[in-house]
Order: sequence, then C-alpha cells, then structure tokens
Amino acid sequence: MAAASPVVLELHGITKQFPGVLANDHIDLDLKRGEVHALLGENGAGKSTLMNILYGLYKPDEGEIVLNGKPVTFSSAKDAIGKGIGMVHQHFMLIPVMTVAENIVLGTEPTEAGIVLDYGGARKRVEELAKTFGFQIDPDARVENITVGQQQRVEILKALYRRADILILDEPTAVLTPQEATELFAILKTLKAEGMSIIFISHKLNEVLDIADRISVLRRGKMIGTIPREGATETELARMMVGRDVVLRIEKPPHKVGEALLEIDDLHVLDDREIEKVRGVSLEVKAGEIVGIAGVDGNGQTELIEAITGLRHPTAGTILVGRSKVIHHANPRTMLDAGIGHIPEDRQRRGLVLDFSIAENIALHDYRYAPDSKFGWLYPKRLIERARRLIEEFDVRGGGPTTRAGGLSGGNQQKVIVAREVARNPKVLVAAQPTRGLDVGAIEYVHRRLVAERDEGRAILLVSLELEEILSLSDRILVMFEGQIVGEFPPTASEEELGLAMIGAGKERAA
Amino acid sequence: MSTFELRDRLNERSLASAKTVAICGIVIGILAGWLALPPATVRNPALPIVLGFIAVLLGAYGIYCDEKRAGWGAVAAGLAGTALGLLVQHSSVGHLESAFAWGTLLAATLRYATPLTFAALGGIFSERSGVVNIGLEGMMLAGAFFGIWGADKTGNWILGVLIAMLAGGLFALLHAIWSIHLRADQIVSGTAVNFLALGLTGYLFIQVYGSNGTPSLSSGNWFKGESIPDVTFSSSSNFFAQVFGQINLMIWIAIILVVVSHLFLFRTSLGLRIRACGEHPRAADTVGIDVYKVRYSSVVLSGVLAAMGGAYLSVGFTHSFNQNMTAGRGFIALAAVIFGKWRPFGAFGAALLFGFSTALAYAIPPAYSDTASSVLKSGSLFQALPYVLTLIAVAGVIGRSIPPAADGRPYKRQ
Amino acid sequence: MSQPAGENPAGAPSPQQPESPYPQTFVGRLTARYRVGGIVTPIFTVIIAFLAGGIVVAATGHNPLETYRAIFNGTGLNWFFPWVTGSERADAATNLQQTLILTTPLILCGLAVAFAFRCGMFNIGGQGQYLVGSYVAVFVGSAWAGMAGPAHIFLAVTLAALAGAAWGGIAGFLKATTGAHEVITTIMLNWIAVWVGNYFFGLQGPFQGPDAFNPISNTIADSAKLPVFWGDPNLQGLHVGLFIALGMLVVFWLILNRTTLGFEVKAVGFNPDAAEYGGISVKKNYFLAMAISGCFAGLAGAMDILGWEFNISTPQILFSNIGFIGIAVALLGRNTALGTLLGALLFGALYVGTSTRQLDPSVFDPELASNLTLIIQGLVVLFVGADLLVISIWNQRRRIPTRRRTALE
Repeated sequence: MAAASPVVLELHGITKQFPGVLANDHIDLDLKRGEVHALLGENGAGKSTLMNILYGLYKPDEGEIVLNGKPVTFSSAKDAIGKGIGMVHQHFMLIPVMTVAENIVLGTEPTEAGIVLDYGGARKRVEELAKTFGFQIDPDARVENITVGQQQRVEILKALYRRADILILDEPTAVLTPQEATELFAILKTLKAEGMSIIFISHKLNEVLDIADRISVLRRGKMIGTIPREGATETELARMMVGRDVVLRIEKPPHKVGEALLEIDDLHVLDDREIEKVRGVSLEVKAGEIVGIAGVDGNGQTELIEAITGLRHPTAGTILVGRSKVIHHANPRTMLDAGIGHIPEDRQRRGLVLDFSIAENIALHDYRYAPDSKFGWLYPKRLIERARRLIEEFDVRGGGPTTRAGGLSGGNQQKVIVAREVARNPKVLVAAQPTRGLDVGAIEYVHRRLVAERDEGRAILLVSLELEEILSLSDRILVMFEGQIVGEFPPTASEEELGLAMIGAGKERAA
Repeated sequence: MSTFELRDRLNERSLASAKTVAICGIVIGILAGWLALPPATVRNPALPIVLGFIAVLLGAYGIYCDEKRAGWGAVAAGLAGTALGLLVQHSSVGHLESAFAWGTLLAATLRYATPLTFAALGGIFSERSGVVNIGLEGMMLAGAFFGIWGADKTGNWILGVLIAMLAGGLFALLHAIWSIHLRADQIVSGTAVNFLALGLTGYLFIQVYGSNGTPSLSSGNWFKGESIPDVTFSSSSNFFAQVFGQINLMIWIAIILVVVSHLFLFRTSLGLRIRACGEHPRAADTVGIDVYKVRYSSVVLSGVLAAMGGAYLSVGFTHSFNQNMTAGRGFIALAAVIFGKWRPFGAFGAALLFGFSTALAYAIPPAYSDTASSVLKSGSLFQALPYVLTLIAVAGVIGRSIPPAADGRPYKRQ
Repeated sequence: MSQPAGENPAGAPSPQQPESPYPQTFVGRLTARYRVGGIVTPIFTVIIAFLAGGIVVAATGHNPLETYRAIFNGTGLNWFFPWVTGSERADAATNLQQTLILTTPLILCGLAVAFAFRCGMFNIGGQGQYLVGSYVAVFVGSAWAGMAGPAHIFLAVTLAALAGAAWGGIAGFLKATTGAHEVITTIMLNWIAVWVGNYFFGLQGPFQGPDAFNPISNTIADSAKLPVFWGDPNLQGLHVGLFIALGMLVVFWLILNRTTLGFEVKAVGFNPDAAEYGGISVKKNYFLAMAISGCFAGLAGAMDILGWEFNISTPQILFSNIGFIGIAVALLGRNTALGTLLGALLFGALYVGTSTRQLDPSVFDPELASNLTLIIQGLVVLFVGADLLVISIWNQRRRIPTRRRTALE
C-alpha cells in the first residue's frame, strides 16, 4: 500500500547554515500520504532545523520544497499552517493561564462581527474535533492544570483545527510517561487512517521501529538513507546514526567497594506544583562504585538530585552522607560541606556563572574558606593560582584562569565544573546528565574521569537519560519509574530489560 | 458528627460556603469602621469593637475552611475597621462632618482618580502585551504640556487633547522601539522617557510661555484656550447630583474606557492575542500572530491613554501647566495597575481608592485646622497612603499580584 | 545570540521551558560590554547625547556652541586650564567648588544604584534613601548641640547612612521574602519618603523649625557641620564630604573585588541559579545589596545636609532629584567605581553649569538650561540602554561572513 500512495511532500537539496555549523547539508526527503515517516538522528544531527524550515520558521539557504506537486516557499509559520503543515513542538507552544479552547483557536479565532470572540463557538468546535479523532479533552480547562500528555494532545488539536494534513512531531515522547506514549501512538494510528501524513522526529530506536512505516536517518546534517520498516534492525539503524558498529564502552578495571557513603532512606520529594515526584526512594552508594540511575525523563530523577544536593527539601526520609545524618532542612551549603559534589545537568544555568572567570567559577563553592579568603577578605591571586593548577591538571582548553567562562566550548566548560567538584575531594559525586550536549571527545573525557574518581574511592551517583552511558559506566544500575526504584540490574543487563523496567513493566512482574 | 463533616456539609450548600462567609466578614469589618463616619456617625465604641470581632471570627472560620485569602482579608478588615472606628470616634462630630462631606469628597475622588485611570489603562495594555512601562509618568506629563499648548494655540480643546495624544504616542513609540526592536532593558528605557519628557516639556514650556524671569505664569491667566467642558446633569444638592451632577467630560470618558478596555481585552479576539503576546510570545508567533506589531500597538496606545490623563489634568482640571506637574501620578497609576492585577476594573477600583486618599488629604486639613494633631493638619501622610497600600499589595500580603508571564522580557523573532 | 534549533539546548527538556541558552542578566550584558568596549562607549554615548541636545537648542532658535560654552564656563572646569588667570580664575574656582559640591552626593547616589545593579537589581529608590538620610542628618545634627565637633559629625553621618540602609533594606527584605520586584517597591518607598518628610517638616509638622511660617526644619549645630577646605565657608565652599565620597568609591571597589560578600553579590547578579547551587544564599544577598546601596544614598543625604544645606525644607524635598541623577551616573559609568566618578563629575558639572547662579542669562536662560540638562540626562540613559545591543549586533554581523566562507569551502 505504501508504494501506491501519492507523495505529498518532497524536499530537494535543503541546505541551512548557521554561524559555525552546517545544520542541513543538501537533504532529500519525501513523504507519502497516510504514512508515518520517522526522522532519526542523534542530538545535533539537524532534525529540528529541517523541521523548522518545513514549518516556515527558518528559510533554507538552498534547495526547494514541493508540496503536492507544486514548489512552495514559506514566508512564515502562518504561511506554512495555511498550506496544511502542522507542527507539534518539543517545547509546547501553549499559554498556561489560558484555556484549552483559547489556546487552540488563538490566531484564527471565531468571531462575531469580526471583533468579539465567540468563545462558545470555539468550545463547540474543539469538542467536535476531539470527538472525530477520539481525544478526551476538556476545552475549558486551563492548560497549566492538565497533564503533559493532555497538553500534547492540545498541541495536536491545534494543528488539526487548522486543517493540517501533514503533521510534524518533534521528539514527542521525550516528555511523556510510557503509558502516555502508547496513547500517543494509538492517536497517530487513527490520524494515519484519516489520511494524515506524519513526520515523527526521534532519537529513540525502539520507538521508531514501533511506529514508523519508513525511516530516514540524519547524521551531522546529512541524509544518510531512507529504509522501510520491514527488515530494519536496531543495529543497522544505529550504524547509520552513529557511523560505527560498536557502541562506546569504556574499559573499566575491577573495582574495590568500601563502606556506604551515601545512604538514602524512604525519601519523598514534592515538585514545584506540589506533586510528589519522589515516592519513597531508598538507595545506597558505596565508596568505589558508580551507581547509575536510568529512567525516562520526568520520573523524579531531577527532584531526587535536587534533594540530595540541597536545592529542594524532602518532605520525608533521610539522607546520610558518610555516615553522618544531614539535617532535614538542608540547603546547598550544608550538603556541599557534608561532602557532596554535584555536576549539574544544566551546566550553563546551574553549574557556571558564565560571566565569571574560570578562577572565580572554580572558587564558586569554596571561596568562603581559606586559602581563598579569610574573615571575609578575598585573595584573588590565590584563586588564580589554584585555577591555573586545575586547568593544567584537567586539560581545560580555550583560556586561562582569567578567561570568562562563557567563552569556552561546552566540553571545556564541563571540564571546569568537573575540575571544581573533584578538587574539593567530595565523598559523594552526583553527576546528572554529565555529557549532555558534548562532542565525542569531551564525552570520552568525562567518562574516563568518572571512572578514575571511582577508583579513587569516591561514591558516584550517575543519573542519565542515555542508556548507553549508564550501561557503559555503572557498576550497579537502578531504574527509576514514577518516583520509585523499580529494579536493580547489573551492567551486563540488556537494553531491553532496562527499557522494560523504565516503562514500568518490570514493576508489574515484581509485584 | 465531627467538625469536619459539619464543615463539608455546610460547604455543599453554597449559601453557607466558606468563601461567602469570609466575604461577609470583610464587609462587616469595613462596616465597623465606616459606621463611625458620617452620615451614621455612631459614637458608641461598642459598635466597632463588636462588628470587628464578628468579622475576625468569620475570617477565622474562612481560614479554617481553607479559604485563606478571603479569610485573612476578613480578619484584616475586622482589625482595621475596629481601629479606624475607634480612632474616628476620637474626633468631634463637627470635625467629621466637615471633613467627610461625602458628596464633595466623592466628586473630588473622581477628579483625582481620572488621570490615574487613563494612565493605568494604558499601563495595562502595555504590560498585557509584555512590555513593562514605567514611563507612564513621562507620557502623562507630555500629554499635560502638549494638551494645554495645543488647546492654547488652536483655541480648541478637542485639538488640544488630540495633540496631547499624539505627543504621548510619540514618547511611547520611542519606548516601544527601544524595548521591542532594540530589546533594551525596559526599565531603563522607561526611565529615559521620564527624564526626556520632564526635560523637554520644561524646556518648551519656558521657551514658549516664559520670558526671562517674569512671573506671568503664576497668575494663571496665561492660558487663553478652551478647557474641557463639564457634563452637567443637574445642579441640585442631593447626594448623587453632588457627585455626578456636574463633572468633567473626561471623567465620563474615563469610565467608559474602563468598560471598553475590559470588553476589548477579555471578550475580543484582538484582546486574546494581546494577552497571548504577554504570556507566551513564542506560542503566539507560531500561530501566526505578529508579536512585534501587537506590542508596538499596545505600547503606543499606552502612551496615548496616559497622555489623555495628562491632558485632563492640565486642560480639564487645573487649566494651567507647571513643570513636573504630574508629580508622580504616573507612578501611582502604575501602582493601580499592580493593585488591580492588570485588569481594567481592578485598576479603576484602585485608582478610585487612591483618588479617595488624595481627596482626604485635601479635605481633612482644613476641617481639622483647629486641632492639635499634626497628622491631621498636614494631610501629607494621606498622600502617602496609595504608595503604602501598593507596597502591601506587591508584598503579597493580600494575595499575590502576578503579572503576565512574559512581562518585561524582550522577544526575539526567529 | 540564539542557538540554532538543531543543537541540544542546555535546558532540561520540560515542555514549558523557554528557549536556551541561559539568558544573560542586564548586569551581565553591561559588564560584558565594559570589558570589550572599555571607556570608548560611554564617551561616545555622551557625545551623541550632547549632539542631540545641541539640535534641540538650535531648533528652538539658540546657538548651541555659545550655549555649551557658557555652560562650560559655569562649571568651573576651566579652572584646570593654566591659561585662565586673574579674576576669571577666581570665578572658575568658585564654580569648580560648586561642581564638586554637587559631585559629592552624585558619586554616592551613583554607587547606590551601581551596587544594586551588580547584584542584579535596579535600585530606583536612591531618592528616597537619600531623603531619609537627610532627615536623620538634620535630626542628629540639630539635637545634641553640645557635642564635640568630630563626634557629632561622625554620629550624624553614621546614623544617616544606617537610615538609608534601612530604607533600602525594606525593599531588599521584601524581595528576599516575597519576591516583590524592587523597582516597584523602591518607587513606592521614594514617594513615601517624600510625603513623610513633607509631614515632618511642613507647616505645624512635628519637626518644623523655629520659624512657624516657613516649612523648614531646624538648622544643624555648628559642631555638626563638615569643615570646608576650599573656598569661603560663608559662601558655600567645598567641604570634606568630597573625600568621604571618594573614599566610598574605594570602599565600593574593595567590597566587590576583595571580599567574599562582593563575590557573592556578583555571582547572584550574574546568575542566581548557579550562585544558589554554589551554596550562596540569594535572598540574603538581595537584602544586603539593597541595604548597602541604601547606605550609600543615605550617606549622600548626610553629605549635603552637613556640608552646605544645614537644614531641609518641604519645597526642597519635593524638588530634589539627586537620587534620580544617580541612575544616569551609574548607567553611564557601567556600574564601576571609576565610571561612577566620571559620570558624577559630568552630571555635576552640567547641573552646576546650567544653574541660575552660574549661567549668564543673556546667552541662555538658566531655566531652559536646566531642562536641557534633563534632556541630555534622558538621552544618556536612553543610549546606554541601546548601545549594548546595537554594538553587539554590529559585532555579530562582522563575525558571520568569515565563518560562512570557511564552511562552504
């Protein structure tokens, strides 16, 4: 059936250049009616850029777009919408304080006499639309009060309301629970049956194999190839995505485990919306081991780390660092002093003051102690001294102690953070997404460093969304699902086993 | 049955819901103070005390039932009302009746509130679209000067007001370009507008109307143009006629604009788009709304409205101009926007409240000139009241004032 | 400035997250500019502002060059020219004294704004903090007339500074505990200070001075007056407050660059999230920064009262605007010590040069001139707000062509 379907969309030779980056390099792609066409690629491969071009947000430097046989150019998002292309962004474009109906009709509002908003009419239309496609949605609910999965459905309805017949979904499952992801796939199948053509952007192999009819792989801005789902294997796709056969695994010498340096007992943590995100987590990390926490984003990992590092107060439970109990209302300073080191997942927001020099950033935790300062008086020279030593030791490139941290590359910024944390000689090192946004060389460096610190006898807690990283580094793997630890696995576990636990399937089995 | 069950049962019947109870508490608390004033002028201290006590009880009930805001409001109203009532009873009846001549007092309230109302409406439009505008003061001042200059030169008050609106719009355009296109810090840009307006209006005023050092301006006769007319319904002395019988046209226009603004912002599609730009401009952009255009229009509108307030001040009210005549009213208007939670009716209510305290500031000193109390003779502390109230509001003591989410953050088109 | 959408955003992947990377705070942008543009940009800004002012002058039928020259002569800066001699030199000396008298509180009010900016806050409340400092200076200066000179001065100065610190601290406290925006709270506090002062020193107010028909406070005792070191004490000579102000410039610099407090303040100003992560209490620093800022402004009030005003009147309270000029001073000086000094000198000279005492009315009406200064002040602030972006956009445009060339090869 796929071969007989007409082609609704063609991209020929699309090229887009940004300062320093060739995001799209002469890309060819075609989309057939009624198919789900997956666009696969690693972070930074150029998928989002391509879709933004398609959606009218960027203009291509070269190449053409052919819609239903006619070449088109999009001058704006409005233009693209008008021609039937609807996009569901990764970061939702919804206004939290407005209702579902208001969000959906925004920009093409039904009006009386052209001025007055016909809210009743809007509501009715939303209800009809939802019924046609089988959604359950309350048009009068405020977006800030509905779940993430429902918000995504509102985004889809937005596109359908504007009579899109091509739908682009940008990493839609990144923010969904596995349950919601299944529901989404069901919706996509319904849409397909109604004749919609769908482009599904992802970097997750298993999903893509689940839902797509055809799969195109992008790597470093180039289109590597398009293959049908039948006969496609994970290995083949992985090879196309990454360009090499084997997945990176670090060589790890066998390790000696000491006493437990981090003990968490029945921890409960609420998030900003007073929803309990950590629901009774207990774990321990011993000296000389790396414990990795795997899980889909949004299952409480962030809140867990915030509690451990003092950025958020747990509502119940205890955290012991190095056998001494930490006070209940701990703040970051207390936790740092107790011996926790933290490599934050958002290095530019939490990890570094970009406008400070490298030396000042390195001093960010310890500036108030000797030798950096005494009785409140600061000695900048000593900061610079220490920074110089650490820059050399950790091979930070791109500047000296007085260089502004914002001028360094991502990898070097991460090195500065690692240097700072490690140099403080913490008992426990918490690393959250330590290699996010880094190039291969920097990733390798960070991984090697973490293993080295483990061998020095530190307890390392690694939280990552990349299963590969977890499998590669961890001595023990814990899976977190819906705020609880649902399974413990050795590093020899398969991705499949872990994936099942991450979706919560393992939980049912255990119960 | 347990208290919880009783409470839940009561709550099911909306008449006795906790929120209604608490709101009754607020009303009773206000009454505790108000009844001591003319015309009721109750002299028995028992009344404010008892009423205040009841209000506090009702408020406590509200808090117990989790209606925190209304509950605490009732407690506060009860305490404040009692204090006010007892304080008022300290004064002699003669003094009170002299100061609290409600007819003239409320008429004065309307007059003082009107410039604030115009500017506050302007502030609401600007901030709802996402641009912070602390230059309202400067735009109002520009309207005050150019209004009177226009009315003087053309002999026609309508043209004068139109010229004022143009001037306010131009200053606002400057702020808009800086805030939107150049993405400069919006507070800095607003501050610059205030300085510029102050300097430019002063400069032009001296240039056009001043001759070196002669005091011809202070005589007040130099403005030869028409002033904005009053709208007269009746000149009888009953209460409503005293307040509404003969007030300036601009005051009516202000009230109408409040209603129009509310309908526009919350019932039209354009209003929806303006609010979208202020909450999540990128979302608005992706559905095809031109965020820049919306913001530009809103900011220029805010300048036009603020200038109308200034024009009323000079052409309609004092029939003159002097340097820096707005004297901070633009900031009171900003306070009214915040106090009124960025809603036209709320801001109007705040403007009335602030206008009332200004009216008191002028009504009380002459009535109490023969007493020993320096506070009452001076009236200055009453002038400070709007600012104190806003401070309390901003601190969230009577409920958080949450601005539009993207207020103050420059937007960059992709 | 924005990352291309293909790259991995540095923010956590939550649906409602605004775009990345982490946005620079206003003070971050100002400081970045300072590092690269140095002193050129402020000078350039001033030149453009003067040019624009000159256009206004010309458009209203006056000669800009002569106007500016007359203003310049009034500032007393010509005293620095060795070729000015005789009675002209004596006049210039008096004028320069006046300029420096005004520069003193301007330095301090500029520091009040600058310090808060370093912590990421916009302190528009310098005016209120200045006034509160003046009130306390008047109280302490006029009471305890029997005290010895230096002790009396010290007491008055310290208490005035503390009063200013308290006034600023209120805004800081509110921001720390309730998150109330300091722009709003300080504006409100400004006006509260004005009206409270109006009450205190107005007719029949509790602190009105001996003259029952004039709303003026008591005059401070001689023991509380700051000694004059240049010029005639009876004709408003230059007092030692100038040295205190200069000293405060050094204190400002030392706090920011040589103390842990300054380290924390700067960190919070650049990136409160990272500062918190590093164990710094953001709230404590908000409060302290506002209190210290208020301290500077309160000190300015004391300098003026103890140095040359000696009392305070309600018209003075209503028309005073030193705190607001301080905003322009700080912005022009990019929130640095040296910049504040130069900015204060510039505006001090401008305001003195255009005042009625100094400016020759036959050349240009002093009332016009003082408004001209306000216009220039507005333009300076306007351009400070814009030049950062204009120049950074200009820089970006220069960078792109070179990259494009290498990538396509």
